[in-house]
Amino acid sequence: MDFTLPQYDPFRMLPEIFMLLWALWVFTYDLITKRQKEAAVGYMALIGPAVPLLFIVFYLTGLLPESWRYGGSGFGAMFFNDTTAMFFKIVFLGAAIMAIGSSFGITKQKIVNHRGEFYGLLLFSTLGMMFLASSNELLTLYIGLELTTIPLFVLAAFFKDDKLSVEAGVKYFVIGAFSSALLLYGMSFLYGLSGTTGLVQMKMNMAVVFLSYRDIGVILLGGIVLLVAGVGFKLALPPFHQWAPDVYEGSPTPIAAFLSVGSKAAGLVAFGKIFVNGLMAFFGPEQAPNDWGMLVGLLAILAMVIGNVVAIRQTNIKRMLAYSSIAQAGYIMIGMVVLNEHGMASVAYYIFAYMFANMGAFAAVAIFEDQTGSCQIEDYKGLAKTSPVFAVSLSLFLLSLVGIPPLAGFLAKYKVFAAAISMATVDPSASWLYWLVGVGVLTAVFSLFYYANVMRLMFFSNEEPRHKITYSVPALCVLLLGLAGIVVFGIYAEPILKLVRTIPADFGLYIP
Amino acid sequence: MAEPGIVFWILAVVTVASAVMVVTLKNIFHCALALILCLFSVAGIYILLNAEFLAAAQVLIYVGAVAILMIFAIMLTSNLASKAIRQSNEQVMVGTVVSVLFCGGMLALIYLTDKAIVSEETGVAFWRQVRGTLPADNVASLGGYLMTKFMLPFEVVSVLLLAAMIGAIVLARKEKA
Amino acid sequence: MTEYLAVLIFIFAGIGIVLFTFLLSRLLRPINPYHEKNINYECAENPIGTSWVKFNNRFYIFALIFVIFDVEVVFLFPWAVVFGQLGLYALVEMVIFIGILFFGIFYAWRKGALKWV
Repeated sequence: MDFTLPQYDPFRMLPEIFMLLWALWVFTYDLITKRQKEAAVGYMALIGPAVPLLFIVFYLTGLLPESWRYGGSGFGAMFFNDTTAMFFKIVFLGAAIMAIGSSFGITKQKIVNHRGEFYGLLLFSTLGMMFLASSNELLTLYIGLELTTIPLFVLAAFFKDDKLSVEAGVKYFVIGAFSSALLLYGMSFLYGLSGTTGLVQMKMNMAVVFLSYRDIGVILLGGIVLLVAGVGFKLALPPFHQWAPDVYEGSPTPIAAFLSVGSKAAGLVAFGKIFVNGLMAFFGPEQAPNDWGMLVGLLAILAMVIGNVVAIRQTNIKRMLAYSSIAQAGYIMIGMVVLNEHGMASVAYYIFAYMFANMGAFAAVAIFEDQTGSCQIEDYKGLAKTSPVFAVSLSLFLLSLVGIPPLAGFLAKYKVFAAAISMATVDPSASWLYWLVGVGVLTAVFSLFYYANVMRLMFFSNEEPRHKITYSVPALCVLLLGLAGIVVFGIYAEPILKLVRTIPADFGLYIP
Repeated sequence: MAEPGIVFWILAVVTVASAVMVVTLKNIFHCALALILCLFSVAGIYILLNAEFLAAAQVLIYVGAVAILMIFAIMLTSNLASKAIRQSNEQVMVGTVVSVLFCGGMLALIYLTDKAIVSEETGVAFWRQVRGTLPADNVASLGGYLMTKFMLPFEVVSVLLLAAMIGAIVLARKEKA
Repeated sequence: MTEYLAVLIFIFAGIGIVLFTFLLSRLLRPINPYHEKNINYECAENPIGTSWVKFNNRFYIFALIFVIFDVEVVFLFPWAVVFGQLGLYALVEMVIFIGILFFGIFYAWRKGALKWV
């Protein structure tokens, strides 16, 4: 047998290598300092995602020297830095920075023995997401997804004395293992059909099979169902969403935030790579009999309706945000089933805006929880009187999640709906997309109820507030970062929009 | 591979029977032992499929390590090992329906795929066509690909194992007061 | 495939011998159970509690670490088979692989997870 090493370029994995070494250093630092300094490990951990983030941003803005060719293939199809990879890495790293920044409170109060592990595992999870974003191949994709979720099982159960946290960890673990099994089973079908694990090669091989037999069999349908269920669990898309509220409620708040943004974005990348890129030809009934677009569209409608309706009844703000994030996943999936040059671009912009708004909202919840120990919505009564900055920023985050102009969330929803309409007007067979848009607009209006309820309690309650919020420096920075994100990228979105415009090309949706 | 022989049927019966024992026996320790038998006979099926390395890994990891870990966990939990437990709850009907549907769906999938797409020239179902040949030494070819084509996932697996190990230590360790 | 026939025969022979001896002793011995005979043997004392004892928790961490390194060994096998053909870079790859895992041992050691107190 002839084994030759493929072309590889470690330079293009520099951010990943840095993250790995830095995570190891964070573990080591916590061990050798014997946990003396409380916040030092946290600041140390912040460097981990910050340096790669700056590196990628500098590369994209052209500030790096011309000779540093970061984009391109690092290891065949298994590691490829296209715009998609870099853009989603920015989202993952940003989510990691905001999660670490808002976790200084709990590492000071609750986590005494395992601070280094808390941050190090968070960095490992981010590392898995980064590998996932760069892979165009099923095996690396799967391993990246596993590296994303396995540290998160542990992080969800990090308060070992807290029954809710342990319950969250166990639930997330069982669901995570089960969904990974489904995903792997579905991937094995794809491998069996195409004889390759590379996504682009897979697309071509399956097209050849389809053209020569004029059918590809129900086996692909079985694979599609298994894959949708597997990724659906990770994305908390109904009917695979029941775990999300319990897990978000029980796990440490920064971890819940990271689950709802980082892990969700990772699931989206995996979904986009497998379905939009790998199974694109099997999207509509006229191209091939196995249609995944309608199936996913149905799940999106379920997500928007169930998420927004059930959120109204929640009294715990973390559970409310969990249902809200289920609904947000529904909006994102609208962009995912639009297979033209706008679809994936709107998905990317949506997740970017969602990252700032949702991480910010969870950071505010974390600040409140650190000081009061409560997550009940009614404890937010009258907060505007004592802590106006807190109340205003939390309100802005929630308004961005609703999609009120001029915040980034509005533009995100607009982009997704516009993408769906642009496809539906051109292609008559895609007219079912109008239904998605209709349900999306209705539920978005509906969602104002429960978001506005929190604002009403904070601003218009006559009761005397029970709490006054004081901020630690990192937590305040996270709040301001989130605010800056939703305001700046809502008003001046052109640089991001210009960047995301090239993303659909990475999925083979058009030739630039 | 030709039609399944007598060895396959023995292994299949043992696998299914022991799997049923895992979910029905009253003593959880006996369940763990039945699980070992189940995993072991799956390893036998892997050998029938010419996947020797997978069979060895199955015996080494699942029979050798994971089953031991389960028995440890049973022994560690006070009053669990000797107690008779009830293995079902009020969801048992739902669970039965779902698993029967899943099993039936999978069987239907295999049957329909085998029947539906048949090449006009050869008359062979397309997924039964042999693509490529089996390497003479599949451990060696696996090792070769792991070191060359699949080097990156191989290295990431070590990070994955490290994360699992650190996470396990964090969760399993007793906190100092 | 035929080389596994020996394994199969070996397994059946193993099971058969055990079953045969049990059957034989069942046929030969007198059957006369009573209470004192059925209780656990405890050096002529009356046993206290059941014979199921709770293991020490510490075993568990060792077992967990063992599983991780068991998986690592599974990766070592195919590597060792082709190492001769591949040369230096295979060695480097395996050194990186084991090096990353070795950090786990370093961590467990410094954390005191391997200490038996």
